[in-house]
Amino acid sequence: MITTRNLDRAAYIIFIALILLAPLVLQEFWLNRIAKFLVFGILGVAVSICWGYGGILNLGQGLFFGAGAYMLAMSLKLASNTSLQQGSDQPVPDFMLWNAEPGAPTELCCISKVSFLWLPFQSQWFGVAMGVVLPIVLAFVLGSIVFRKRIAGVFVSVITLALVLLVRLLVIDAQPVTNGFNGLTDLGTFQVAGFEFEPYSRATYYLVAGFLALALVGGRLLVETRAGLILQAIRDDQNRARYLGFDVPVYQVFFFTVSAAISGIAGMLYVIVAEFASPTFMDLSFSITMVVWAALGGRSSLLGACIGALLINVVAATVSETQMFVEAWKAMIGLVFVLVVLFLPRGLAGFGQDIAEALSARRKPAAVAEAEGRTP
Amino acid sequence: MLDVIFIGLSLGSILLLVALGLAITYGAMGVINMAHGEMVMVGAYTTVMGALWLNLGFLASLPLAFVVTALLGWAIERVVVRRLYGRLLDTLLATWGVAILVQQAVRLEFGMSFFGLHIQGLGPGLQNVKVPEWMTGVAGIFGNQVNIYRLFIILVTLVLTLVTWLLMYRSEIGIQVRAIMRNPRMAAACGIDVQRINGLTFAYGSGLAGVAGVMMSGFKTVFPDMGTSMVVDGFMVVVVGGVGSLFGSVLSAGLLGQVNGGVASFTNDILARAVVFGLVILIIIVKPTGLFSFKGR
Amino acid sequence: MSLDRRSLLKAGAMGAAAITAPSFFTRSAAAAETIKVGVLFSLTGGLSIIEKSLADATMMAIAEINAAGGVMGRKVEAVLEDGASDPKTYNEKASKLIVGDKLATVFGSYTSASRKAVLPVFEKHNAMYFYPTYYEGFECSRNVVYTGAVPNQQLSNFIPWIVKNLGKKKFFIVGSNYIYPREMAKVCKILMKQNGAEFVADEYLELGHSEWGSMVNKIKNSGCDAVLSNVVGDSVVAFYREFKNQGLTHDKLPICATVTSEIEIAAMGAEYAVGSYTSFPYFMAIDSERNKSFVERYRAFVKDPKAVTHHALESSYFQVFLWKQAVEKAGAATADAIRDGVRGQEFDAPNGHVTVDKENLHTYLTPRIAQWQADGQAKIVDAYPQPVEPLPYVAYGETSSNLFCTPKGLDASKLKKS
Repeated sequence: MITTRNLDRAAYIIFIALILLAPLVLQEFWLNRIAKFLVFGILGVAVSICWGYGGILNLGQGLFFGAGAYMLAMSLKLASNTSLQQGSDQPVPDFMLWNAEPGAPTELCCISKVSFLWLPFQSQWFGVAMGVVLPIVLAFVLGSIVFRKRIAGVFVSVITLALVLLVRLLVIDAQPVTNGFNGLTDLGTFQVAGFEFEPYSRATYYLVAGFLALALVGGRLLVETRAGLILQAIRDDQNRARYLGFDVPVYQVFFFTVSAAISGIAGMLYVIVAEFASPTFMDLSFSITMVVWAALGGRSSLLGACIGALLINVVAATVSETQMFVEAWKAMIGLVFVLVVLFLPRGLAGFGQDIAEALSARRKPAAVAEAEGRTP
Repeated sequence: MLDVIFIGLSLGSILLLVALGLAITYGAMGVINMAHGEMVMVGAYTTVMGALWLNLGFLASLPLAFVVTALLGWAIERVVVRRLYGRLLDTLLATWGVAILVQQAVRLEFGMSFFGLHIQGLGPGLQNVKVPEWMTGVAGIFGNQVNIYRLFIILVTLVLTLVTWLLMYRSEIGIQVRAIMRNPRMAAACGIDVQRINGLTFAYGSGLAGVAGVMMSGFKTVFPDMGTSMVVDGFMVVVVGGVGSLFGSVLSAGLLGQVNGGVASFTNDILARAVVFGLVILIIIVKPTGLFSFKGR
Repeated sequence: MSLDRRSLLKAGAMGAAAITAPSFFTRSAAAAETIKVGVLFSLTGGLSIIEKSLADATMMAIAEINAAGGVMGRKVEAVLEDGASDPKTYNEKASKLIVGDKLATVFGSYTSASRKAVLPVFEKHNAMYFYPTYYEGFECSRNVVYTGAVPNQQLSNFIPWIVKNLGKKKFFIVGSNYIYPREMAKVCKILMKQNGAEFVADEYLELGHSEWGSMVNKIKNSGCDAVLSNVVGDSVVAFYREFKNQGLTHDKLPICATVTSEIEIAAMGAEYAVGSYTSFPYFMAIDSERNKSFVERYRAFVKDPKAVTHHALESSYFQVFLWKQAVEKAGAATADAIRDGVRGQEFDAPNGHVTVDKENLHTYLTPRIAQWQADGQAKIVDAYPQPVEPLPYVAYGETSSNLFCTPKGLDASKLKKS
């Protein structure tokens, strides 16, 4: 029997199969490019959990992405041979030497006031761990304060927006330890037990695709748990959920943190694929772009948001690389975006669900009342 | 000390100038207009184009910019925003798309660049706006040197705020706007033409942005992306001030301006901006509905 | 070789004949004839205010080369990509051009941030990047040809000249908050010390910041007698305007800038800059037939009779010719051939004679100091008699007799001694 639920599951399975089989037809360059876009797909999932299921519009998702990216990039910077041979016997990143005060010791511990923070990053796995832990801690602290105070809606958006701009400003200003505006470049390769994840390799593609599959399946299972359902109830009516006796902030903080952790992992994967970390990850426009992906794909479907991210990026890349449209592509993206918000309010996923429901309605007159995709 | 206060005042007035329009569209209509910065930009370009093609002076472009951006705002309300009432966050997304479109329209000279045509005053580069000689330089007031241009901005902001206040609280149409603000359905039931009033409100808010654009063009840079950062600042002012409270916006703009100016003179501008962001976060956390607000909607 | 108008026209006619000839052959043969190069600048986003003009200049050079018969008889085909003012996009487009399209050469980038973001792609896949912008130095990549000025080519005559000819002793250093202005400030301080001057403050503002009230007030109260500005981008306009609006004048307190170019002067209005100084290897006002013809051709090319030319734009233009000569010398358009071919390559650019350094792939340029005039043009008040050697590691004590960056790469042992 065809139900929307089965169709939905089938869509997940087909999508995951597709991304796992894609390397069979993808060349070196597209392999790397799709890997980058899959990272954005992971971000789409993160936004969808937070916004689509939790009703929390985080306009600072880039903060967690950036945090993850910088944590791993710090470790990889210290693993880069070329950037360490710049005038010190000690492993000190090149930019620290350039930014050092004259006469400062050329050692990582004390070349500038806070450079000691880099010391533990000499271990790659510390960087990896921090790439998840830092977003989690940030999200937990922020979420606990914000949601305990019952701040909701647009106010959460403004707080997250101000925070990401604040952190971006500080990262750029702390040039002696962050390399400021240029970000962390000239990185070493990510290694697991001696195996190097080269950015253009299949292995790296599968690393990203694997995490995306995990995020999709894990996220899907998570939002279907009791906690996930309560979260959706909170999204639909916070006060009613509260009066029913649920500890609203607990659920909000939990899913906000999960979304942050996923974003942090996405940030790390991006560093592996693109080989740099930049403060532009914390630009407001990037955070809004993520929301745009999710909105286009369908905010209240993890798969929809993920496909939205992939689709927009593939379309933007192809259109902008058509020599005729190289200057006009952005206007076209803007137009498509306005049209989607106006005419497909639930995004592509919502559109797909409508079709699926129309199909199943033939067999089963009473439409299956599912929670997802029913944003008021 | 006095010069620091003056700079703070000036910063606050610039914030308010941009935020005033947002306070109307967001506060009164619940539309998060991300294209507001682009309205400022269009206002600035109106000054550029007016000078180039119509030989208009700087001051003469003030009313022209108001009309142009108001019309554009009215069109945007008609075509896009009207379909999204009640979907607060969707207005944010749709107007973000509109913002990109407006930016690209200016950058690509309304598509003329594809036909190898160049319209003087448009395109991706920086544009020049000529400011009357008497507005540059300083004036001595009570033995203090005061920047005339900034003084002029403060005056314009004061006048616009006053006009807006009169319009909102002392006019027929203002009563209707405020009625819609509290409860659109009830307002409609009372015979108020909600669609028409909303269109006019949005046009007025956009027109204010246009005037802000003229003022900005005289001392900042005119280029297609100039509005992007302004909308963020303006939005923060409105939210901190309390949604729907004109007085709140005035107060928060003044506060953020003074804090920015003060911290900048005693430390540096980067730290000042960081402190302002921090303050915004803090105020919302301590007082989630802003400094001044009422229960509504 | 030189390109005056007449020879260009003649060559254009010949080129036109050459264009029509291959069309008799099959299409695939014609396609194989072209040499593809990448052109990667921001055509959208905030940086397009400048980068669009760099892309235009590059395209113009390619058009002129094609009109003159191409490279080794083959036409040059530009693949234009938009970096969208975002390092992420830059990185992706670079990998498209290098790994996807398998091109050997790309002309591009304005900011260091975008160059740094694309560098791994070029180094790991061995392709050549021609970078036209003045930058902070500290780079010794085998895959980049740097045709803009490094700090020693903008500052080594500037600071001494200000101290000696203007009699200024106390500097207020101000810049945008990123690596280029900070490094420039570092080199400035060394030079100030050597010339018996001092700095009273060293302040930074966010890139793109346009609120100068507090900073100019600080300058006013600092007791300095000159301002050294490393402010970049659209902030420059707001800075000069605020400067005048607060009653400061360039005859008493001149702004001496390293980045302020014709673009910003045109945008702010000349009345705000009259009397201030800038140091660059190229100015639109350089009085030579070659430069006048260049400006004229550029204006015709972009169909804007008021368009201005500036340093990075000029470098974007002449570096394409350096590339052409390198390809012709090496007889092939592969990265290794270009790298070998471009070493020591010379060209008569609009700014004068330029040479690519054999050792570090940076370019010999002629530092010039100019004072801005009421018509928005620069008046060159001082110039080096000959092009100056590029020293990307000058802040570490690099000198022409002790080079740090050689074809073998960076000699890191020399960095330690400083």
